[in-house]
Amino acid sequence: MRNFFKNINRNKALLFMVLPGTIWFFFFSYLPLAGTVVAFKEYRFSRDGFWASIFRSEWVGWDNFKFLFSTDDAFTITRNTLLYNLAFIILGLVFSVLLAIILSELVNRRLSKLYQTGMFLPYFLSWVIVGYFVFSFLSMDRGLLNQILGWFGVNPIQWYSEAQYWPYILIIVNLWKTIGYSSVVYLAAILGIDKSLYEAAMIDGASKWQQIRRITIPMLAPIMTIMTLLAVGKIFYADFGLFYQVPRDSGTLYSVTNVIDTYVYRGLMTTGEIGMSAAAGLYQSIVGFVLVIISNYVVRRVDKDSALF
Amino acid sequence: MGKSKKRFSLAITALTALSVVLSGCGGGGGNAASGGEGTPEKPVELIWYTIGTPQKDVNTVMSEVSKYTTEKIGATVTMKMIDWGDYQQKMQVMVASGEPMDIMFTSSGGFDYVQNARKGAFLELDSLIDEYGKDLKNTIDPAFLEGSKVDGHNYAIPANKELPQQEVWRFNQNLIDEYKMDTSDVRTLDSLEPLLKTIKEKAPDITPFAMDKNYIPYVPYDYVIQNLPMAVKLDTTDYKIVNVLETPEMKEALTTMRKYYQAGYIAPEAATTGSTSDLGTSGKWLLDRAQTQPFADNVWSASSGYPITSTPASDPIITNNSVQGSMMAISANSEYPEKAMEFLNLLNTDPALRNMVDSGIEGTHYNKTADNRLENLPESKNYDMPSYSLGNNMLLYLNPNDPDNKWDEFKTFNESGVNSPILSFNFDPKSVSSELAAVQNVKEQFWSSLMTGTVDPETYLPQAIEKFNQAGLDKVMAEAQTQLDAWKAENGK
Repeated sequence: MRNFFKNINRNKALLFMVLPGTIWFFFFSYLPLAGTVVAFKEYRFSRDGFWASIFRSEWVGWDNFKFLFSTDDAFTITRNTLLYNLAFIILGLVFSVLLAIILSELVNRRLSKLYQTGMFLPYFLSWVIVGYFVFSFLSMDRGLLNQILGWFGVNPIQWYSEAQYWPYILIIVNLWKTIGYSSVVYLAAILGIDKSLYEAAMIDGASKWQQIRRITIPMLAPIMTIMTLLAVGKIFYADFGLFYQVPRDSGTLYSVTNVIDTYVYRGLMTTGEIGMSAAAGLYQSIVGFVLVIISNYVVRRVDKDSALF
Repeated sequence: MGKSKKRFSLAITALTALSVVLSGCGGGGGNAASGGEGTPEKPVELIWYTIGTPQKDVNTVMSEVSKYTTEKIGATVTMKMIDWGDYQQKMQVMVASGEPMDIMFTSSGGFDYVQNARKGAFLELDSLIDEYGKDLKNTIDPAFLEGSKVDGHNYAIPANKELPQQEVWRFNQNLIDEYKMDTSDVRTLDSLEPLLKTIKEKAPDITPFAMDKNYIPYVPYDYVIQNLPMAVKLDTTDYKIVNVLETPEMKEALTTMRKYYQAGYIAPEAATTGSTSDLGTSGKWLLDRAQTQPFADNVWSASSGYPITSTPASDPIITNNSVQGSMMAISANSEYPEKAMEFLNLLNTDPALRNMVDSGIEGTHYNKTADNRLENLPESKNYDMPSYSLGNNMLLYLNPNDPDNKWDEFKTFNESGVNSPILSFNFDPKSVSSELAAVQNVKEQFWSSLMTGTVDPETYLPQAIEKFNQAGLDKVMAEAQTQLDAWKAENGK
């Protein structure tokens, strides 16, 4: 116990800095854990408040989870969620590292900053706005893309009812929106690499390409692993805005745009069963948790230092 | 090891303590008016949640209202307004967390009435209406109270307003005049064709048939759940629930819609269009479909800035949806349910109170120009309330451009309404809720593109029907049929 207080005293500045985050996590992530119990209840209001309502609602066992697995849609939404997130993780990693390296190699600092800001900007846009932005390209009669196709004598395409294009559109839009943000993380890591390593390499006659391959990428490997592990934990969560707003909720596209989050939203919008949406959320976080544990285990076997825990 | 264990138990203790505090907050209610409370000398406070953009002067007006109600029933009123888009969600959270409230707005659209009545959000009102709501019962059209029963009980007081739902075709009259078209023979979907054809040929930049993704061709059925294909035919005798997609009427309507879509009468992206208000502003549309009420043409023309006319597309039908359009419920955790009922009774019967709540303070927000007429003053912009949501509409004073017989026309319109066979039958989806979630997803997938004619019903209709059945629609329909049969037997239909 004495050690514990000593420890606190020694690290008080650092602990003070994490305090706001800790408080946030306590209230918004740990405290609500108790409410997970509604996933197993048929939630009904009680006049004595929320906890009394939970306490008095009837236990229904696993009933609330059934709707997630009851139709062939279960396969479609699981496949879509997993494959899209996999594509986002892999392509996101490749492109943001690539971009970070290019930005760091730019000689003109001012231009580099300009590009960085330009690519960062979409990250702050809401999906609703991005949805309209995409619509201005893909609209059937007034869209830019169909006009360009028209110049080449191609008939206008009904983008919002042709499912085969949407895996590409969604991946491109998502990369466009998120890549600026993640590349900043890698850019910061690159700038933190000891310059003497590059100087030594240059004296040994290493080319730019060799420097990147032998110094930059290996030095980035730990942060790449951590970022990927964190992303794997969210692999069962789909970005609702991307899959709902960008395809304009078009029914004919559902085979390639319906993911777990949109399925839950559409299914429960009218009945408003809190228990069922809690069940879906619990299912997603448990699968994410298991996946993080497994992939962290794998990473530990390969390289102990890069693992999260 | 011991260290982390201690920390953990500390956290658990804190959590338990907090939950006790939280649950304590919600408790303590239940002591009804007693010990001389609720008199003009010692009034009780009623908290009233309602929908609409919060108004600047709401507290000023409510303190004036409170003076009046203190004298009449011994209660003061605090009104809390929640904006349109937030109402559903915020109320859900506040009711779930046991926020103190007495009266709240509910409807089939905002803070769903039937659903929340079943979940226990509202107090059952049957005996309270008999005891404290006699005048109210005599004032509002009995069809409202009858039609808003859930499982045989009233959980809210409906506002007295237009009772039936009637679909009309609306026309952009400028274009009708310009191209010398005749709308007198229009009634069915097919009868629109010559008009659409003319405008498409003569004015290609006009959208002939304006619609958004919520458009559904009118068929003479009443839906058991809005926007799900289970429905009962309006002239039914056997009360059989059918899949509306399998009916000949819907098949025919969808084929016509497809024909119109292919002819270019409908915007190519109708199935994903959320709103057609841009067309309304620019006036570049010929016709659309809407729900009407008496003098609706005047209201539409005034708000669009150009003349709009309409002709009926259906008979006026009284459905659950039309009856449950605007209601006020008493919260299950209300501390003064009797006072709340007395207040609702007064609000729905006393023109002075009703108009104060609606238009604000006389001399500040409005001036009276005659016995039952008023004129808004500039200050009324600080107290601009949605009239429909605040109780009996037929007590409202008339605006300068309202006709004298406005409310008489409403009464005539209400009398013309025909009851839907399933009026006041409310399906309880409890035992089929997981099927319903799957069915809802199928609906979202096929509905808009079929209804707007974007896809060919020849191929997509059978597909949709099959997917609905795979998702369990037949099971949901069977359950609904069982409940409907029981309801029918109980009500002697």
